[in-house]
Amino acid sequence: MTETLTEYGALVRQMLRLAAREGQPAHGAFELTGRCNLSCRMCYIRHAAGDLKKSAEELSASAWLDLARQAADNGMVFLLLTGGEVFLRPDFFEIYEPLTRMGLVLSLFTNGTLMTEEIADRLAQAPPSTIEITLYGATAATYETVSGIPGSFAACCAGIEALVARGVPLGLKTTITRHNVLDLEAMRQMARNWGVPFSAGWLLSRRPDGASSHVEDCRLSAAECVDLEANDRASAHERTEMSLRESAADKDNNFQCHAGKAAFVISPEGAMNVCLVLSQPAARPLENGFAEAWKQVRRYVDSAPPAVSECRTCDLLAYCGRCPAWSMMESGTLTEPVPYLCEIARARKERYGNPA
Amino acid sequence: MKRNDDFVLKNVGGQDILVPLAAKVREMNCLISLNATGRCVWQLLAEDQSMEDLAAAVAERFDVDKERARADVLIFLDDIGRIGLLEP
Repeated sequence: MTETLTEYGALVRQMLRLAAREGQPAHGAFELTGRCNLSCRMCYIRHAAGDLKKSAEELSASAWLDLARQAADNGMVFLLLTGGEVFLRPDFFEIYEPLTRMGLVLSLFTNGTLMTEEIADRLAQAPPSTIEITLYGATAATYETVSGIPGSFAACCAGIEALVARGVPLGLKTTITRHNVLDLEAMRQMARNWGVPFSAGWLLSRRPDGASSHVEDCRLSAAECVDLEANDRASAHERTEMSLRESAADKDNNFQCHAGKAAFVISPEGAMNVCLVLSQPAARPLENGFAEAWKQVRRYVDSAPPAVSECRTCDLLAYCGRCPAWSMMESGTLTEPVPYLCEIARARKERYGNPA
Repeated sequence: MKRNDDFVLKNVGGQDILVPLAAKVREMNCLISLNATGRCVWQLLAEDQSMEDLAAAVAERFDVDKERARADVLIFLDDIGRIGLLEP
């Protein structure tokens, strides 16, 4: 009559599939800020920590709580708090603590470098279901080559240790670039030493706002990506995403994931969008109400044109991770091929042959 | 008996789940899924209930005989009691 779901993964994904069928906005992500104290060259969102204009545009704590209440009334159960770096907000706990009393399954993304003993104590009192910290290298030299900030490696490690010491649910992940790929095994070992799970991702996207980043200098080659997938257990997640795509393949439906079907994102300025890397349709939940904004997001996804026929009939389709968000960032449309992902798909086919 | 109010009933895609609140996450970082009988009993347990009241309500709501309802309620109460979802 009851079943305890300690593994959020598979069963939650199944619940979200059902929510998507009903159009329930079960999963939300609040980008509390776009500002960050690190300066990663490949980042898709970052603004400077001291950017006063951006800071002034961010929603207030009370506006975030209003949105959370409205979203929960409309069916939101899972909520990710992310940034930028969320602990740049001095009012973080004015947002976080009331959320912990709303019956939401909370998760939190941070770089860990601003974690203090006091913040860790407050998180431990009412922890989220998980905190994910991104590790950019296994040594200060590598980490800080990526993050651009001296001292950030030690600060990150101290943050991780503060949370581990208090038993706060924690996972580590890494974003692999050309500058830290050789540290992958050592980072995994660090996670083992701390007794926390570890995952890795390396598909680096451009910035959705069109601002320049150095992503091309940071990306692995297609061959390197496929070698990692084939040889590295940390890549299991990437492969799972691809196999999910294969099983859900519906060539006329451009959006294959839960975005705009069971999931939404709210930007630091209060725009409701499809996902973290597709800043559209910029609906306004505070001005027009959450339910109306969610309707707009769903309409945007439902009425999206299918991918161009070149993609839909491509013999690499089963190996391809293109989605409308990637197309938008790389081609400015929802429908065009993404040459970098084409190269990766081609390399996969060369390695694995024709899909079954 | 009465339910522990450290959990909130939510629904995702038709699946009823109990979500732990605030400090409870520290003890129980999990979700608990409920079937229809579990949901019914959980909602009744917002108020103090006797075993007989719960069995009668379940028998009526699901059109089953009282003995069967009583057995189902007992299993449910045992399940949630063991994991601390009832008030002591």
